[in-house]
Amino acid sequence: MGTEAVTSSMQQTQAPPVEVMIRTENLWKTYDMGEAIAVHALSGVTFEIDRGEYVAIMGPSGSGKSTLMNLIGCLDTPTSGRYWLNGRLVSELSDDELAYIRNKEIGFVFQTFNLLSRASALHNVELPLVYSGVPAKERLEKAQEALRKVDLIERMNHKPNELSGGQRQRVAIARALVNNPSIILADEPTGNLDSATGEEIMDVFERLYESGNTIVLVTHEHDIAAHAHRIIHVRDGKIERDESVK
Amino acid sequence: MITSREAFWIALETLRTHKLRSFLTLLGVVIATTTLIVVMSIINGMNLYIADHIANLGANVFILSQYDWSATGEDWMKMQRRNKAIRIEDFEFLRDSIKSYKSIGAEAEIGEADVKYKGHILHEVDVSGDTPNMIDIGQAKVGSGRYLNDTDYAHESMVCFIGQDLVTEFFPSLDPIGKDVNVSGIPFRVIGVAARIGTTLGQSQDKFVQIPLTTFRKVFRARPNLSVDVQAWDAEEMMVLEDEVRALMRARRHIPYHDTDNFGINASDTIMGLWHQLTASIFAVTVGIVAVFMVVGGIVIMNIMLASVTERTHEIGIRKSLGARRRDILMQFVIEASLMALTGGAAGVLISLIVSRIVSIFFTSSVPISAVLVGLFLSTAVGLFFGIYPANKAANLEPIEALRTEA
Repeated sequence: MGTEAVTSSMQQTQAPPVEVMIRTENLWKTYDMGEAIAVHALSGVTFEIDRGEYVAIMGPSGSGKSTLMNLIGCLDTPTSGRYWLNGRLVSELSDDELAYIRNKEIGFVFQTFNLLSRASALHNVELPLVYSGVPAKERLEKAQEALRKVDLIERMNHKPNELSGGQRQRVAIARALVNNPSIILADEPTGNLDSATGEEIMDVFERLYESGNTIVLVTHEHDIAAHAHRIIHVRDGKIERDESVK
Repeated sequence: MITSREAFWIALETLRTHKLRSFLTLLGVVIATTTLIVVMSIINGMNLYIADHIANLGANVFILSQYDWSATGEDWMKMQRRNKAIRIEDFEFLRDSIKSYKSIGAEAEIGEADVKYKGHILHEVDVSGDTPNMIDIGQAKVGSGRYLNDTDYAHESMVCFIGQDLVTEFFPSLDPIGKDVNVSGIPFRVIGVAARIGTTLGQSQDKFVQIPLTTFRKVFRARPNLSVDVQAWDAEEMMVLEDEVRALMRARRHIPYHDTDNFGINASDTIMGLWHQLTASIFAVTVGIVAVFMVVGGIVIMNIMLASVTERTHEIGIRKSLGARRRDILMQFVIEASLMALTGGAAGVLISLIVSRIVSIFFTSSVPISAVLVGLFLSTAVGLFFGIYPANKAANLEPIEALRTEA
């Protein structure tokens, strides 16, 4: 009990200032392949992202950017190192606490949309609120508001297979927004779209950035990364370059 | 609670989209529930029937006879050897010795005999010799004419009181009173007809001829084996009377203190006791069969739920990425399995209601509400139990692994 109190107070003192949304400290992710072979997907990654930034994480496949995205998105835990999200040390949380963080702090946008095919657009957008325990009436209002932001309110009763790729991704963005997360984490959001639709989606992100959201974009495409205001290049599990654009 | 409502919705949706699969999955549970409720209904129906018809000896009546009717197995063999018949002297002794009773009557039977009337013949008629007060004690009531009276009894009159089946067979359009019927070749004049009693388990209770006990002794058997019917004023009195009769009979027959009775005292509860012994074994067998069905049904549910978890791994990944906790996923699948099993149980209830209705046409069946509740509860519990393992498997999936799985 006593030591726990001490550790937590130590963490408290090391917590980053308020303007820092994400701080990682020497993050390692090692996969044990057995027979004493260990693969380091990430080897000591340290960086900070401030509140309201629009950052792209770039790198070729196998660079460790997906692993990094999973760690940032609290879908996975690091082998070692520390990760603060919105002032909270999340690298040492339990599974259910991580679920809570994913629910409240993170809005995911995936390359393959990851919508529930049997549910309507509206219900898909409502899902994060279901798991936050928001009452049905309030849930409906918030979900409709989010769909309005992505101009899909009139299609809210359609199922994903009745929507175009761009529309599906906009539903996914609405779902990411609905719980007012600290960061929006987009993993190749245009990867499954033609370039015109991709541009539309990137416009939506631009608007979200302008209204104050923190956006982390993971991609391997230069033109997509170019929409961000800062690009973190990842290669061989390390940060190769961190550059400001614009 | 909100998440459990979501789980409920998902479960209904799954049942709706996989109708055939759900039906096949639930067959075991449906059969189990149906079997359980149908058997419980038949036993219940028979219980009501027995209580209404067979065990109803008349209010506060018990019967002294040679054998204890509820004895089985070894006890029965022993009784066969040592029990003595109840004689007319025993009856007269009891009639004169017991302090307080409402009525005491006696009846002798010659099993089943043929009864004839003008070329018509009726087989397997119960012929008995009765004391005149048996009308107050037994099941039969006077429909028309009169019952055997003290004069008939004293004069050993050749008269009889007949059941409705004889009227139907011999006198469909005639007044039977005053006609002579032939019982085993001996003519008896009809003085009264009983009101219809009805059937018990398919056996007509209206196929009888009653004559005065004295006449019976004169024409059929001089020293018949009797059953003595004792009627008490109330239920409490009846227990006292039973003890009194037992004590008197033991004293009269000089039964040592440690020996068992060599006669039987039978009351409604004796018959019910015998009946319950029988239904208990039927019920035990049913419980076994239902348990097997339920386990098989449960395993099928578990199997389909495991398939469902695999099929929906990607969906679970999506839900987890959006903040579903372990218990949210667990709840979703447990509710789905329980709801599925409950649906099976409900289908079983519906089918059993129909089956019970059909059975009641030619036999007897009455669905007790408790059977329905037990059926629903049991099926849900089976779904819950066998759903836990697959649900736990789903809940323990790693979010990234699950998301990576192809939809």
